[in-house]
Amino acid sequence: MSRAEVLDGPGGPTAAAPVAAPAPVAFARLLRSELRLVLGRRRNLVLLAGLALVPVVIGTVLLVTRDSALSGQGPAFLAQVTGNGLFLVVAALFLCLPFLLPLCIGIASGDAVAGEASAGTLRYLLVVPVPRGRLLAVKALAALTFAAAAVLAVAVTGLLVGAAFFGVHDVVLLSGSTVPVGEGVLRVAGIVAYVGLSLTGLVAVGLFFSTLTEVPVGAMAATVVVSVVSTVLDSLPQLSAIHPGLLTHHWFDFAEFLRVQVDWGVVGSGLAVQAAWVAVFGALAWARFTTADVTS
Amino acid sequence: MADTERPRRTLSPRARWAVPGVVAVAVAAAVGVPALASPGDADLPQVSAQDLLSRVAAAEPTPVQGTVVYTARLGLPELPAEMTGADPLNLLGGSSTLRLWSDGAERSRVSLLGATSEYSVVHDGAQAWTYSSTDDAVTHYTLDPADVARYQALADRAAAAPGADLPTPEAAAAQVLALAEQDADVTVDSPTTVAGRDAYQLVVSPTDDGTLVSRVVVAVDAATAQPLRVQAWSTSDGAAPSLEVGFTDVAFTAPDDSVLAFSAPAGATTEEVVVPLPETPELPDGAGPAAAPALPDGVAVAGSGWSTVVTLSDVDVAGLVGGDAASLATVPGAERVLGSEEAQDLVQQFVPSDGEGNPGRPSLDTTALYDQLTTAVPEGRLLSSTLVSVLITDDGRVLVGSVPADALRAAA
Repeated sequence: MSRAEVLDGPGGPTAAAPVAAPAPVAFARLLRSELRLVLGRRRNLVLLAGLALVPVVIGTVLLVTRDSALSGQGPAFLAQVTGNGLFLVVAALFLCLPFLLPLCIGIASGDAVAGEASAGTLRYLLVVPVPRGRLLAVKALAALTFAAAAVLAVAVTGLLVGAAFFGVHDVVLLSGSTVPVGEGVLRVAGIVAYVGLSLTGLVAVGLFFSTLTEVPVGAMAATVVVSVVSTVLDSLPQLSAIHPGLLTHHWFDFAEFLRVQVDWGVVGSGLAVQAAWVAVFGALAWARFTTADVTS
Repeated sequence: MADTERPRRTLSPRARWAVPGVVAVAVAAAVGVPALASPGDADLPQVSAQDLLSRVAAAEPTPVQGTVVYTARLGLPELPAEMTGADPLNLLGGSSTLRLWSDGAERSRVSLLGATSEYSVVHDGAQAWTYSSTDDAVTHYTLDPADVARYQALADRAAAAPGADLPTPEAAAAQVLALAEQDADVTVDSPTTVAGRDAYQLVVSPTDDGTLVSRVVVAVDAATAQPLRVQAWSTSDGAAPSLEVGFTDVAFTAPDDSVLAFSAPAGATTEEVVVPLPETPELPDGAGPAAAPALPDGVAVAGSGWSTVVTLSDVDVAGLVGGDAASLATVPGAERVLGSEEAQDLVQQFVPSDGEGNPGRPSLDTTALYDQLTTAVPEGRLLSSTLVSVLITDDGRVLVGSVPADALRAAA
């Protein structure tokens, strides 16, 4: 694709030819060009636009049907949206989390290395005088940035559409207590941050698959399959012993932010599981990427 | 290659592949070590059952907050799949997580947690609220003004045990300890650790062979003498307790005032229920078997102790199951039995009614639930669990007992 941009850019071989460029500078240049590539890629922009469309569609449907007999039906948090636009953020994240967000994460992280390999640009990228470990770190940071952008695309449009259609009011928690708007916004921000951090494990998995193959579609599909299989395993009561360690098990614990007293132990254990997946699959991706023979 | 261009330490490929292995082992160790360390036996001085019981009886009511896990392995058939979320019916089987806050006196909050829902019971002196986030519905239980005065007088006279609709370790332990002195051996087992606290284990083993209950184990906190966990073991399942309620996380500190306060959220449907206070305000002084009130008509008791079988006659089971509140009147002694606030709450949950107090359409198809839970036998329908059996005969009798199903069928 447009890897030439990187090669000719400030981080390319011509600029860095004297090895004198200090490592942090070279790293920053590489990261900047990678971010520009990932966030500027048309496919990724379409994905972000699609995600941003979800709260718009939900909000419009709820606005149209608010006075009909169909109002108040549907999955969790949907019924609260018409009363408080802030809940559109929560409802949209709740609906995107099982499949749409993992799909976007899979596309972005599965493409990270395998996309370069399949386009034949990986070997040129490796000419940049940056160690492979750091190159992988740049790829990981770019994929994480895309994951954050994906969650923010849902959350920000959800907030704007919700506020425009339904207004922002005091938040009624799951426990029946009411908190003022300021605290409500903070709690919803906590949900957005938790959902974003919950996807880091999947990014690491996708990055590992991406180092395994030269076929980006394979890495993307495998990443999505991991999240789907994890959800399926999570629904089997016979496997309850392994549930706490599953990638997706704690995803919906974001509801903790809507309880009268947030149990930080629950939030912390959810994030700790993601950290463990990031550590294991990050190390696997590093071992694979720094030892692999790159032929394309 | 890029990383070989500089003179820097390089790992062999094999060493690089060892890194993920080391990370995986480190993660496994971080998960496994605390899990292995916790069940270690607590190092506590020995006490007799008598000492332990008196410590429990002497313990001051303490503010408490924590997480409670309730697990039922009653051997009941699987409930219909549409039952998800925080619904008290989920307590019939499987595992549920509850949060508990209590100031040790008149105010408490118990929340049954669902993945994205919550069922809360808030109790504040003479009034109580339940809030279901799934239905966005509040039920407000109050006493009428005359009863409030009586309630205050009663509360002043005796620090009544704080009741709760959802089982907490405290409530369950209080019930067991009252029964313990009769028909059972009470011993102290080796100390254990519950929710990270050292605890004594009080074991109540029924001496009666006819009952389904093999033993009831109460873990009592060594420092505060508060019950931390209650397990009921069945004779039919020696591997795991049939019923278990215990803290997984507990702190004996006063909860935040905002947690104990409740006001109905705007937009929620609110139902007001005035609960009649029982007509026996005078507490019997010499509380004992002799002071037991006479049984209402239509109730018969056979056997004694743990294998007691209670028989209710002329009950309109079909009407009750269909959600017809009027058929409640056919339950013998309903007035008296439902005199307690807790029982009234329970009936209200199973027999929904609209704002005017008229019976409404049940939210769940209770007839289907009834068919699912019971099996057909020649005498009628039988509900058989690892701890309790219920036989509903075709001629309108209901037999309940903690005895094997065959014993009930023989009694019918």
